[in-house]
Amino acid sequence: MSSRAERTSGRNPAASAVGGGQDLQDLLSSFQGRSSGEPSPAADPVNQAMIRHFVEAMGDENPVYLDEEAARACGLPGVIAPPAMLQAWIMRGYRASLELERARAAGESAGSPTDELMALLDEAGFTSVVATNCEQDYLRPLFLGDHLSVRSSIESVSGLKQTALGAGHFLTTRMDFTDARGEAVATMHFRILKFRPRQSPRSAVGAMRPRPAITEDSAFFFEGTREGRLLVQSCGSCGKLRHPPAPACPECRSLDWDAVEVSPRGRVLSFVVVHHPQVPAFDYPLVVALVELHEGLRIVADMAGVEPADVAIGMEVEAGFEMIDQEIALPRFRPVGR
Amino acid sequence: MGEEKLYFEDVKEGAEAPVKSHTLTRTDLVRYAGASGDYNPMHHDEVIATASGQPSVFGHGMFSMGLLGTALTDFVGAGNVVRYRVRFSRQTWPGEELSTKIVVTAKREDGGRHLVDLECSLANGDGEVKVVGEATAVLPSRS
Repeated sequence: MSSRAERTSGRNPAASAVGGGQDLQDLLSSFQGRSSGEPSPAADPVNQAMIRHFVEAMGDENPVYLDEEAARACGLPGVIAPPAMLQAWIMRGYRASLELERARAAGESAGSPTDELMALLDEAGFTSVVATNCEQDYLRPLFLGDHLSVRSSIESVSGLKQTALGAGHFLTTRMDFTDARGEAVATMHFRILKFRPRQSPRSAVGAMRPRPAITEDSAFFFEGTREGRLLVQSCGSCGKLRHPPAPACPECRSLDWDAVEVSPRGRVLSFVVVHHPQVPAFDYPLVVALVELHEGLRIVADMAGVEPADVAIGMEVEAGFEMIDQEIALPRFRPVGR
Repeated sequence: MGEEKLYFEDVKEGAEAPVKSHTLTRTDLVRYAGASGDYNPMHHDEVIATASGQPSVFGHGMFSMGLLGTALTDFVGAGNVVRYRVRFSRQTWPGEELSTKIVVTAKREDGGRHLVDLECSLANGDGEVKVVGEATAVLPSRS
């Protein structure tokens, strides 16, 4: 969908290059080596309260993080922070993240070069993110009272890569941590994949689409759709056709029936366009039509291959059959000839 | 650690650190969000996570790294780790029992320091590997 790019273009000068592959690549490459400038200090020094929260979240019972004596018994001068807690000391915090989101939504400055780069990739359609690597090197343990500063720089931005998740760019950020004296205490490399999801949520998680209830009476219908055939019931006694599947004939109440194939063509009798609420398994806006088949039966199904604004009552349509997961195919109507 | 100090001489190549297991809960993720400052809603807001096509909320990669890190620091001593690198290979899900595996791969001396290299991974009950990585620790020597 283009609406997002249209909505946001013009705010960020970077967004104008989003269309062209090479232009985008050049722009991305220009971020390599850019840094946050002077090291920025952490909000709080290394402290017992934050360590306690962290080790409790981890279920870490090592006493050297909480108990001075235990730390000394291990040959340490005092309580230390868990090494893997490194990043927690320099996180910008909840309030600042909200402020950044607000500023971005208002089209103001995108913040640091990393924030700018993320915004640029979002606008180019690489909206999903997954962390792929984290590398930490510790020059010394961190003690209570250590006040860290961090300088972040964008080490690399990859070209467009095809991955199992979808096409995207790998970004590697380097963070250099220093103490109050300006001496290096740790470095961290963090690599993420910023990607365009390979499939729409529906196909990516097909099993999440609500499955129709398949009963003894309706199983034939789904056997038919899997073979690309539209099957309906024909009464074994009076011959009347019926759909949706039901155990008895509404005309003569006979329980005898046969499955017969009918033409998948018909015309739109009525339709709705669903905008809300949205279920992840479907694409929106979703056109759902009541179609009258040539045999006079009516069937409800999604429509595809047509803009909602172009759907019209009386439109000639024909059903195709699409697998919604490994086992179930459903009819979907398209305007005839499309 | 805390009780016994691990010396370089006591470690053998191929030795394994004690396994730590933890069953991930949604409360863990909330706790971790607050403790780490990572408030990405995909890790605590079920509505947002499922609307994005995820089956549920899922664990922070850095939570997995931290969890595996606890087994590492318990084994080699918290102040002794000098390098810890991981690759996040799969998402973690509430209800999964995550277990650590840490193996000594090499012992070496470098500039008078006694170094131990370790391979570490975190996997669920079906053996699906979530995080795989390596670490180096400087250990005290008896000599």
